[in-house]
Amino acid sequence: MALSRRGGRTRFTLLLLVLTSITVITLDFRGSGGGLIGAVRDGAADALSPVRSAAATVLSPVRDAFAGLTSYGDLEDENAELRARIAELEGRLGRDEGAERELAEALALLDARFTGDLPKVAARVVSAPISNFEQTIELDKGSDSGIAVDMPVVTGAGLVGRVASVSGTRSTVRLITDAESSVGVRLARSGEVAVAEGEGPTRLMSLSFVDPSADVSVLELVVTSGLDNSVFPPGVPVGRVASVSAPPGQLQQDVEVRPAADLTRLSLVQVVQTEPR
Amino acid sequence: MTAATRLPPVLLIAVVLHTAVFPQLRFFGVAPDLLLLVGIATAITAGADRGAAVAFGAGLLADCFLETPFGLSALAYSLAAYAVGAVQSTILHADWWIPVLTVFMGSVLGVLLFAGAGAVLGHEEFISLRLPTVVLVVAVANALLAVPAVRIMRWAAVPGLGPRPVLR
Repeated sequence: MALSRRGGRTRFTLLLLVLTSITVITLDFRGSGGGLIGAVRDGAADALSPVRSAAATVLSPVRDAFAGLTSYGDLEDENAELRARIAELEGRLGRDEGAERELAEALALLDARFTGDLPKVAARVVSAPISNFEQTIELDKGSDSGIAVDMPVVTGAGLVGRVASVSGTRSTVRLITDAESSVGVRLARSGEVAVAEGEGPTRLMSLSFVDPSADVSVLELVVTSGLDNSVFPPGVPVGRVASVSAPPGQLQQDVEVRPAADLTRLSLVQVVQTEPR
Repeated sequence: MTAATRLPPVLLIAVVLHTAVFPQLRFFGVAPDLLLLVGIATAITAGADRGAAVAFGAGLLADCFLETPFGLSALAYSLAAYAVGAVQSTILHADWWIPVLTVFMGSVLGVLLFAGAGAVLGHEEFISLRLPTVVLVVAVANALLAVPAVRIMRWAAVPGLGPRPVLR
């Protein structure tokens, strides 16, 4: 009899927790991420921000050691690739003494081309994706620094993502590889307009709505189109085409895009302060 | 000291580790789910009732730092912890490996519940070919952390039982 009463009580507790969860989820949906739930999220992010930063700094040697252990094979491959690249560049420099200056000028032009006159806020990446289901990063600056939801985030190499949520001192950025991300793009050479969609952390981005007759080539640059009130300014490099295939009978080509920015090793980024839509 | 005074600092430390340190410790791009582990470990030591309540609180804390619907982690964690507590209560002789296996199974359930409920709420992308990898890595990583987690949560959630460890 006692066991039955106890079983009834635990079931009642579970029912209460499930109903509370559903109520909170409903409130979040109705408030569209703002309201009371938004205030709770922002408060928690701001309150824990100093402790989390301190913990991340103190424990960074452990983190780095672990990263070194788990990615040792990748680092070896990357080292070999970098050595080959250095040798190639040294050879080029030998042939052309002005190459270094030209490279610096080209990089400056590239940066100026896609950021233009728009104001920017430099921010440090303080957290990798927390969830195993979302591709988001956290920045050490928020609305106090002029950052707002939907602002594009870039590095010198290209587009990183867009701001998904902001508190006073932190902001969360949804990466372009997130499965919920979609970016209006244009293929730089062919001029074809498409939508670049994220496919998760382990897969390349895919392009939708690429006409079967379009002349798309591998390594072709993909930039933001800036069409239809897009949150992204036009001309920001998104990536390069990694593969193209046009299966017969399909209404569009299968195009994969490798992001221009290295999204796995972000440390400093720039938030472009576009006007809110 | 009571559970009411021990649990908050333990949960706070868990949140800091979960959001600032564990995201960097990834196998195949997947990090352990420390807050799910906290809920399951509490259910193992304190039963389904208290385990579900602590898992619910841990889930809400996790939701503060996610872009998924607020309450989704709380729902998945509390259901998983309740199931673990209910199963654990039927085991009379607890060998050392039983909590490890229970954490493994509870973590599998917790991640599947999170992905399933997320898909129902509009995040269909949670059910993907990557899901088995996420489930397996989270379950194995949490199982590796099971022994210290169960001891800590026993200290925090069931102070009346004294310092003797449950695991043999």
